[in-house]
Amino acid sequence: MKTLGLIIVVLVGAVLVYATVDFPPFGDPASPASLHVSPRYIEKTVEETAVPNAVTSVLADYRGFDTMFETTVIFSAGVACFLLLRVSRRRPPASRQYRHRLTGLTFRVKDGREISLPLRDFEPLDSIWTPHDFIIEKVCRYLIPFIQLFGLYVIAHGHESPGGGFQGGVILGASIILLSVSHNLRTALQRMGEKASALFSPFGVLIYAGTGALCLVLGYNFLDYQALAALLPGGPIMARSHGIFLVEVGVGMAVMGTMVWIFKNLASLGRYDEGL
Amino acid sequence: MVIALIVIVCVVAGLVFFAGGTLGLLRFPDFYSRLHPAGKLDTMGALLVILGLAIHQLFPVTLGSALTGLKLILIVVFVFLASPTATHAIVDAGFRAGLEPWKKGDPWR
Repeated sequence: MKTLGLIIVVLVGAVLVYATVDFPPFGDPASPASLHVSPRYIEKTVEETAVPNAVTSVLADYRGFDTMFETTVIFSAGVACFLLLRVSRRRPPASRQYRHRLTGLTFRVKDGREISLPLRDFEPLDSIWTPHDFIIEKVCRYLIPFIQLFGLYVIAHGHESPGGGFQGGVILGASIILLSVSHNLRTALQRMGEKASALFSPFGVLIYAGTGALCLVLGYNFLDYQALAALLPGGPIMARSHGIFLVEVGVGMAVMGTMVWIFKNLASLGRYDEGL
Repeated sequence: MVIALIVIVCVVAGLVFFAGGTLGLLRFPDFYSRLHPAGKLDTMGALLVILGLAIHQLFPVTLGSALTGLKLILIVVFVFLASPTATHAIVDAGFRAGLEPWKKGDPWR
């Protein structure tokens, strides 16, 4: 069976390598891509969409369908991780530890016994517990707001400079993951719960598809942002720029939600009680 | 002319720090001593190089160039906060995992 698999892989690989012979040389100015589409994008981007960064306008406007389904792929990755990893049955842990906040005394609750402690006075401890490091905790606490601010800046500034929804969403998601790594998963869950992260990703996709559908309702093609000129000030060209921004916000939300969602499922083995 | 000279001195000094950091990373005997150049010299190298770039694009002074300079200086501030913390976290993890520091006379790892 393994030999058969190897033969198939080698054959398919050989066919793919053979097909690359037909490619135009790298950077060839006479290749079809350089002759028809690219010069039009480069020449007309500012004229048609008022976006100086051609990458953003190609990504979110000229090839909006492609990006919409990329966002959907990210969402389905999050759903796949959720369905594979999440343990829905709630079972009592074998034993767990609590620490009294004031005195620092630690004690253990034996397996399966349910007791309710006032969480204001008692702090639950992970089974693999490492003492909190003062320096790491404080620096991360002060850095995370700035990281999130930078993430929002990257999303909003994608029109002018490198950036956009994907990059900004990753930065926002990484800030929540940093909180979880520098403190623990429970702290991160208090800030952004399971429901929030799981709702962020479909909601981002909804914003993207909803912008497209809104254009459809206003009598234009799907994702033709000119239609938004009826709702937003600035005429049809600025409406395309604003439409790109709306879509980027949707992409950012989807990417952020999915990253945090996948991380939580992986870090706690789907149990959402303790982890990194 | 004078500005170009200052910029060149800054960037070259930064590159010297980067080179020293890389050399230390390759040549020092163990985990902890390798992190020492990696943490310190890279921070200093980044400071000098980015400072040189900030001065380079500041002239002629306009609102735009001042804003870009400010952004570059902000990068330095965050590198100064984040890089030592990251080094500290790695050393802490190594120490907690029970890695013994290298002493004189031990074989190189």
